[in-house]
Amino acid sequence: MDLDRFRPYLTWIALAVALLVPAFASGSLYLLTTASIALVFMIYSEAWNFLAASGQGSLGHAAFFGLGAYASALTASRFGLPPVLTVLFGGLFAAGIGLLIGLTCVRLKEWFLAMVTFGFAIIIQTLMVSQFAGISGGWDGTAAPALVPSSVPFAPYVQYYLILAVLIGVLLAFRALLRGRIGLAFAAIRENEVEARASGIDPVRYRLFAFGLSACVAGIAGALEIHQFGYVTPEVFGTDISFWPIIYSISGGLGTLAGPLVGTVAVTVLWEGLRGIGLTYARFVIVGLLLILTVIFLPNGLVSLPGRIRAWRRRREGEGD
Amino acid sequence: MAIDVGTLLQILFWGLYAGCIYILLATGVNLIFGVMKTVNFAHGELLMIGAYVTWTLFSLTGLNPYLLLVATVPVLLLFGIAVQRLAFRPVLGSHKLNEIFLSIGLIYLFQNGAAMIWGSDYQSIQSPFASMAVTIGSFRLPLDYVIIIAVTIGILVGLQLLLRRTRLGLALRATSQNRKAAMLSGINVERMDMIAFGLGAALAGAAGTLWVVSGQVFDPYMGSVPAVKAFAIVILGGLGSIPGAIIGGLFYGVAESAATYTLGGAWKDAISFIVLIVVLVIRPTGLFGERGE
Repeated sequence: MDLDRFRPYLTWIALAVALLVPAFASGSLYLLTTASIALVFMIYSEAWNFLAASGQGSLGHAAFFGLGAYASALTASRFGLPPVLTVLFGGLFAAGIGLLIGLTCVRLKEWFLAMVTFGFAIIIQTLMVSQFAGISGGWDGTAAPALVPSSVPFAPYVQYYLILAVLIGVLLAFRALLRGRIGLAFAAIRENEVEARASGIDPVRYRLFAFGLSACVAGIAGALEIHQFGYVTPEVFGTDISFWPIIYSISGGLGTLAGPLVGTVAVTVLWEGLRGIGLTYARFVIVGLLLILTVIFLPNGLVSLPGRIRAWRRRREGEGD
Repeated sequence: MAIDVGTLLQILFWGLYAGCIYILLATGVNLIFGVMKTVNFAHGELLMIGAYVTWTLFSLTGLNPYLLLVATVPVLLLFGIAVQRLAFRPVLGSHKLNEIFLSIGLIYLFQNGAAMIWGSDYQSIQSPFASMAVTIGSFRLPLDYVIIIAVTIGILVGLQLLLRRTRLGLALRATSQNRKAAMLSGINVERMDMIAFGLGAALAGAAGTLWVVSGQVFDPYMGSVPAVKAFAIVILGGLGSIPGAIIGGLFYGVAESAATYTLGGAWKDAISFIVLIVVLVIRPTGLFGERGE
């Protein structure tokens, strides 16, 4: 089968599948919920991947995911605002904190950046259960009203399509940015910062922009997630939440728009399948092992697999002649 | 509030004691970075594995847990060598982010592998010296604190002797200073990577034993918070600098102890945040670090 013929249509096929998921899931709330959460994590992983495209690998994106979640949940429940609006506030709040954190991070090299972001997520969690426990509800967390009130007909479906719309918006925005001047500047900074500087690109400004926007989108994703769950606890700042977008992006393909989408689908299917056969800790062990193997043997992720297979076939045919 | 000399000494001593585990972790991180130019983000998990190895041996033999240090350290040394050989070496020299992502896979593997083997409940053991204390003037020092500080000093002196007085140490230092020149002088740098990683893991294992004997609870997920503190110390002392890790660790332990005493226990962990930010704003490469790499 020649995959190349389908290539131009892949986007449309993916979109059609995404639109049709609720039809397949009709009657099964579990499938629909899993699909909705997968969409949220696609948004979140795209945010992480956008930051990675600027050469910055964050190990603490749960900080922004969680801050967006808390900001949205608290404004929605305290002031009675509709979650559809407070989600945006969650994003803006995460972006604000993201810019502050970014200011200390943008001048840092890979290791320092990774350590600092890793630390920030854990420390924000600590602050949430100690200093800010009065506002955040401590370890018990706080309630979050549903994204789409259950009075709306077909609420779970409306919610699914709403999240899908956000995802498509995020994808279009990131695509436009990465194909334009900003994408070029990111690539220049990522490959050689000194040369980028010499050609008049200010790395600090671009990195800060990436940080702010990535935090904003991660915050929106966090808010969307907790309005689905109905409550938010400080667990949302955990290392698991920081690491999922990394796992999704890397297994799919780092630095590509399709990567996080492919990775999220593949890992979610695997994850839910392993749950189906009753594994608990072993699931994490398997995912950890797969991540290690991917980094070592398939560093460009699943999206690079067709190309790899084609190259391998061509080589084999060449040998056969 | 008047603070008398006794209280001050107490704070200082707590700080030294808490600093010991962080120093061992941070020294390991820096040793590995010095030689391999890689940061192992799963370093806290090596501490956790060290703690469980000690605990398992203690349950099996019932020996004095301090003696089990002698068994735990070699186990972690070999474990570290295996991890370096199987996981880190294949990606060495590729993009730096790959090594970070690899560590994440290792964190998952180790935490949940430990949960599968040992269960995910909190565990703890009691030191045979738990009720004993050394009295100096007006205040009592738990004997365990004294032993832990002495053991840490012993380990660090031993490490220093290894690095300064042996051919292996010379080779390690040469690799860390200039990898290519070391290679040209006939040093097997890939073997040095393995040894450095093994030593770093062994130090984390020792820290794990000390964690267990000091009576602190542990579970498979205990590693991340001490690891974050070790990273804060590494940043404070400068990446790759072993004296920096020791001075940074002492300073950090005392700062944490003072913050706990004056501001309350909730600030114990948040202080790492403040230390990190202050240092990074003033000097992005750490207090003792060199500019660039």
